[in-house]
Amino acid sequence: MSFGRFLLKRVLQGVLVVWGVITAVFLLRFITPGNPVDFVAPLDASQELRQQIAAELGLDQPLYIQYFEYLFGLLQGDMGYSYLSGQEASVIVFNRLPATVELAVAATIVAVVLSIPLGVISATRRHQPADYGATTFSLLGISTPNFWLGIMLLLVLSVQFDVFPVGRRGIPFVDAFTLLLQGNVSGMQLWLSHIALPAITLGTYFTALITRLTRSGMLDELGKSYVRAARAKGIPETLVRYRHALRNTLIPVITVVGLQLGTLIGGAVITEQVFNWPGLGLEVIGAVNARDWPILQGSLIVIGIGFVLVNIVVDALYAYLDPRVVD
Amino acid sequence: MSERNSVEETADSASATTDGRTDSRSDLLRVRDLSTRFFTEEGQVNAVESVSFDVRDGEILGIVGESGSGKSVTALSLIDLVESPGRVTSGQVWYRNPDLAEEFPDAADGEFVDLRELPTRVRRTLRGPSFSMIFQDPMSSFNPSITVGEQIAEAVEVQRRANANPRSTRSRTQGYGLGRFILDGVVPNRDYTDPESSRRAVELLEQVGIPDPEQRADEYPHQFSGGMLQRAMIAQALAGEPDVLIADEPTTALDVTIQAQILNLLRDLQDERNMSIVMITHDLGVIARMCDRVCVMYAGEVVERGTLADVFDRPVHPYTEGLLGSIPDLDDPAPRLQPIEGNVPSLLDSEMGDRCYFADRCPKAMSECLTHPPEFDAAGSEEHRARCVLADHDYDPSEALPEDFFGGGSPAETGVTSTDQQAEDGATSEVSQDD
Amino acid sequence: MVSPRTVRNLKREWRDNWLAKVGVVLVVAMVLVAVFAPFIAPYNPRSQSLDDNRLPPMGFSKTENQTSSEFVDGEAQVVSEEVTINATWDHPLGTNQLGQDMLSRVIYGARTSLLVGFFGTLFAMLIGVPIGLVAGYSRGRVDDALMRFADVMLAFPSLVLAVALVGLWGRATFRIPDPFVALGLAPGMPGSVVIPGTVIAVVALVTWVWFARVARGEALSVREEEYVKAARSLGASDRFVVWKHVLPNSLTPILVLGTIQIAAIILLESALSFLGFSGTTLSWGFDIAQGRDDLATAWWVATIPGLAIVLTVIGINLVGDWLRDALDPGLGGEGGSGA
Ligand code: SF4
Repeated sequence: MSFGRFLLKRVLQGVLVVWGVITAVFLLRFITPGNPVDFVAPLDASQELRQQIAAELGLDQPLYIQYFEYLFGLLQGDMGYSYLSGQEASVIVFNRLPATVELAVAATIVAVVLSIPLGVISATRRHQPADYGATTFSLLGISTPNFWLGIMLLLVLSVQFDVFPVGRRGIPFVDAFTLLLQGNVSGMQLWLSHIALPAITLGTYFTALITRLTRSGMLDELGKSYVRAARAKGIPETLVRYRHALRNTLIPVITVVGLQLGTLIGGAVITEQVFNWPGLGLEVIGAVNARDWPILQGSLIVIGIGFVLVNIVVDALYAYLDPRVVD
Repeated sequence: MSERNSVEETADSASATTDGRTDSRSDLLRVRDLSTRFFTEEGQVNAVESVSFDVRDGEILGIVGESGSGKSVTALSLIDLVESPGRVTSGQVWYRNPDLAEEFPDAADGEFVDLRELPTRVRRTLRGPSFSMIFQDPMSSFNPSITVGEQIAEAVEVQRRANANPRSTRSRTQGYGLGRFILDGVVPNRDYTDPESSRRAVELLEQVGIPDPEQRADEYPHQFSGGMLQRAMIAQALAGEPDVLIADEPTTALDVTIQAQILNLLRDLQDERNMSIVMITHDLGVIARMCDRVCVMYAGEVVERGTLADVFDRPVHPYTEGLLGSIPDLDDPAPRLQPIEGNVPSLLDSEMGDRCYFADRCPKAMSECLTHPPEFDAAGSEEHRARCVLADHDYDPSEALPEDFFGGGSPAETGVTSTDQQAEDGATSEVSQDD
Repeated sequence: MVSPRTVRNLKREWRDNWLAKVGVVLVVAMVLVAVFAPFIAPYNPRSQSLDDNRLPPMGFSKTENQTSSEFVDGEAQVVSEEVTINATWDHPLGTNQLGQDMLSRVIYGARTSLLVGFFGTLFAMLIGVPIGLVAGYSRGRVDDALMRFADVMLAFPSLVLAVALVGLWGRATFRIPDPFVALGLAPGMPGSVVIPGTVIAVVALVTWVWFARVARGEALSVREEEYVKAARSLGASDRFVVWKHVLPNSLTPILVLGTIQIAAIILLESALSFLGFSGTTLSWGFDIAQGRDDLATAWWVATIPGLAIVLTVIGINLVGDWLRDALDPGLGGEGGSGA
């Protein structure tokens, strides 16, 4: 099987999963007690008014009609209108999306840049101070709730020492980048100063997790016959480590990271809450509390699609690193 | 080929001595009192115990023994590949190399240098151009995610850079590190190897008899058959044009017909390049077919060594006799003798005691065998030696140990512990070939 | 199954790995604290004492501006003076905004965390393991359907899904009487244990997929074992084979995953309570949320419960590492769905 066909297959699978996600999200409303109309209509609304509202929201139709209308709406980018503000749900959701993406990407960069060197150092200096430091860090990192870590960072670095601003997104990355292109670095500085703490908060768990996986994977790989064979043919140790062992270590690491992406997005929700970061997570929490179904459904679907997309990228990376997958 | 044929005849007829011929060659490696120990949780394991032997120019030396006898660890000790918790603890490995002898006079004795006295960095640069090794299982000895051609080219490339700038680790590595790795990941087709090296890799593949070498070079290990991959591993080991090729059970994992092909290939290559081969095997058939001289190992020691004829025709050590007895006859597939009963003893230091390690399995054990025997000269060629009192005098039934002397909790019952197997890390089948 | 070799490995890892001992000590300590909370806690964790609000923990003090009105020369003046408030042994870990004793709250918080962690994992296991075993054993359609369903489940981050479900389905709780208090052994302590029912159900619903995946993998491999094939060829019923061969062989990885999942679910529960999606206020996450609004004046209210979470989760993770190293179930990095 060629790489292209492999990718095509994965994309088709992804489309199937996305359809499942949409269906599940749609059905969620029907397994939830309470009538959405109760949340929209005034308390003293008459029966006629309630029926009118239900008709306006399309809630008086049979289930399957609602389902297909919702599905076709989605295909045209229509997620309905917010029960609360009456705005288009898709506009609200896509306005919020960039903040979350920025946060998740920044956290991933923090995690990858720190964890892989840390894991490699830990494995190659086994039972030395650097290894103990790295393993202690990673144990702490996977055991610390990230919202608490965020609060502690705020406490020390914002409240006590005022190094970083308290919460809120300073400026969208796109704007900061535009300013940068015009030769103005202050936008970038603002962006960085605001995203630093949230990114560290969200990235710590992943840094710790990938450090652990890289360390144990590296130890595994370094014990394998092909490493001994590579040494026997005279390959210098740095090449043995990076060109041979690390490459094969990353293959399973990537799989696990793909599986754990949900945790990253879940972590983003709570990090947004801690830092008042105006992303999808805050929107989801608000929508749940207000029973604003179009917003909630739209957000969940966008999160699901994001997860599926990133996983396709992860799988492509996996296939690129491990030729056995494609064949 | 004439000389090779004569060796084959020697082996087959197992009658003529080869003294004259082997003496005319000079030593390339002199291993003296080499000991390797594993420091495990269960205790100290004496995997290799005071082993001495020589490897001569252009010869094939066989090292034979059951799994757990320490033969693979001996080989790994030669090229400094013993891994933690193991360590070479004492002894010398003298390697004939006038250049190195001049550069490191402290480690030198005439033209020879003691590899263990060289700095680690220098010792490592000898892997490839001086020593190379092939392993039992070709499938696990190749990196599964890199093409075969690329892996061979890599071995060529390392030597190419080393030649361009001798003894500089930096040039061999060329700053290859994490940064470079990430760059290679982001920018595909940026490889460590030069097109020149890749061409050489294809040549090597051709030399070891792989059809369509150009195309196969771009394939991954899992696309190769076991036999083809073993050929590729040999090609890889030849990349640095080594003086000594160590072959650790090179045919054990292969089909019988493929085994013969690989052995022929090794012999032809040895002949063409006049390199020396150390052939490690549990298979006496391979030894008889390939080797000029033989070391028999048992419980980490060389118990008998000499020319092929010494060991095959005039074996002294009852263990060697037992091994020979268990070779199946071509005409009569049933073994002529019962294989040796019992197992390789545990090599745990605390359980070894001061006696002949074979005494518990030896049919001719006598009371004097309860002290550890030295190496005696034995009848036959000059270099025939055995670590057994029978080399000194004949068996005396009146001195024999009672049958059940080692009954109950003798080491024979403990068998091979997991640590030994880890230490041996090679052959898994027992020496007796009828099972 | 627990073979002698397994026991030996466990013992060896136990002997050589002091971290395993630390983990077991932490976990046992937390369980004891949770069970005997009414005897250990110095105060009723709910009783408020507004005069004693925001007392610092031992080793710390705080300064506060106190204002009082005084009559100076017949005129009322507002005088502001700096007062230093020291910690007292009455409240070793200080108090929160309502004057509730932090030590008592942390002790009672252990009950909620461990209850949700244990029962959430147990229910997730009870849902996931049978489904996984049946899917892996029968393969084909059933298996495909399960795997696709699992894919859909995994596309929702467990925390997001849990927030949505708890938020939409309500924060139902039920109460069982605290046996010690009912017997009159610990007067003044809360009379009942609040069990956040929806939270337990929801964490089980959002994490069972991990168990199903592992059980399926085990069933797929055990199915190919010779003795299972033999049993089948001798006419053993599927139910018998699954019960007798497949399940026992899958226990080790499931057990190890279960241990890790308890830690993950404790983190998930604390995140839910932090976000306000829990049924009880006696929860570490809830206290952290309270303290978060008061960082400048009472940093300890958010800090201390967090330390309790970290210690508990480290303990469980260390036990998990110990079991994994000793039993080697080959899980890789599977599992875990913490916040
Ligand atoms: S020394 Fe004694 S026990 Fe050992 S092999 Fe020789 S005869 Fe047998």
